[in-house]
Amino acid sequence: MDYPEIDRYASLDSPIHRFDPRAKIITFVLLLISFVFVQKISVAFLALLFSLLLLLVSKLPIRFILKRVQIVLIFVLPLLIIMPLTVKGTELFSVFGISATREGLWYASLIVIRSMAAVILILTMLGSMRFDTTIKALYTLKAPKTLVQMLMFTYRYIFVIIDEFLSMWRAMSAKGFNPRTNMYGLSVMGNMVGMLIVKSYERGERVYQAMISRGYTGNPKTRTAFAMRRTDYVLSAIFVGIAILVHINTVMM
Amino acid sequence: MHISDGVLSLPVVAAGWIITVALLVITLRWGERDKSIAEQIPKLSIMTGAFFVASLIHVSVGPTSVHLILNGLLGVVLGVLSYPAMFIGLTLQALLFQHGGLTVLGVNTMIMGVPGLISYAVFKTGYKRNISLTALGALCGALATVLAVILLAVVLVTTGEEFVAVAKLAAVAHVPIMIVEAIVTGFVVAYLAKVKPELLPVDLGDKR
Repeated sequence: MDYPEIDRYASLDSPIHRFDPRAKIITFVLLLISFVFVQKISVAFLALLFSLLLLLVSKLPIRFILKRVQIVLIFVLPLLIIMPLTVKGTELFSVFGISATREGLWYASLIVIRSMAAVILILTMLGSMRFDTTIKALYTLKAPKTLVQMLMFTYRYIFVIIDEFLSMWRAMSAKGFNPRTNMYGLSVMGNMVGMLIVKSYERGERVYQAMISRGYTGNPKTRTAFAMRRTDYVLSAIFVGIAILVHINTVMM
Repeated sequence: MHISDGVLSLPVVAAGWIITVALLVITLRWGERDKSIAEQIPKLSIMTGAFFVASLIHVSVGPTSVHLILNGLLGVVLGVLSYPAMFIGLTLQALLFQHGGLTVLGVNTMIMGVPGLISYAVFKTGYKRNISLTALGALCGALATVLAVILLAVVLVTTGEEFVAVAKLAAVAHVPIMIVEAIVTGFVVAYLAKVKPELLPVDLGDKR
């Protein structure tokens, strides 16, 4: 179990890193929405190239990206095998009486390309600013308060809870527990999850009491110093333009 | 299994968001019946964090390993507020681990969250009918997984007929997960009944 270090490289310096967080969130989400609904493979490919370009500009290390892109690939790559074999259409080739179809391959490729473009966009956006900056920007963008607050608290406590879980796990390993998937192993696992929940519940009580004693009312005030500069406007305009451009074909036809 | 960005069609993604936003509004209002939601945020968030971490636990099944989903347990412990908790959990999964996409958050929350709400109702009704808590927990764990798989299949097939085979395979792949979920959830509920019965939505009374 590792810490979720999505913003490990937020301290690098690049035009993407310097881009105003609010504008970054809005424009990247627009690009994302635009890219995931592209219908043509050629356009989807261009979208992927554009995402890669942004990634390149952001100077985020390739290893950081690859490790995370892998997770999405595990989900979408099987489609490349399953779909050509199961979708009906023109035969592309056949081996041992099993035929692969052009339509299946086309559809699966479209999905793989779109999801790659999407995940690279998301990684470039999140990787280039601290996660608490992302949350602050969401505040200033007037995202629903309750949800943003929950997001912030949950994010903070994930680290604490991971530590708690790891220390429980170490204690059990030290006593010779060997996780096996049988009734006994799962019962231990169940008790451990139960203990984690009880511990977190009690921690929640303590945290809440500590917070109200310091005047928490449920409406935290944040002081933010975001300021849009000229480059931010230019970048935003370009990104919005591309998000629209990708779909101009479909609308015209 | 969470769906990635770029897989589903626009109507399905839009429908997912409409359902999720509506359910978020309803459940947050409902959760406010006896205490304002602002006061519940710290506790609710820490519980969400606990479930998030618990869902990172991998269990090896045969040659592969599956991670716990615990959406049934989430429903049983957090009640209606399990829906916003699930939404936040999945948002963080998408943002921090790229497990599931951002544009499909509405759909993914519906797939996992609605079975959670149903588990909550089943748990409460089942308890009134005097079913043992462990069995009820196991039932909720299994039921929530089965319902999630059904919803997943519905979502995929609605996007396109191309997904029929994929949906079938996904359903088969979830059978071991269902069994693991049922057993683990059963044990967790039994543990909670012993150690912290106020976390369960039923009044255990003398049965403790």
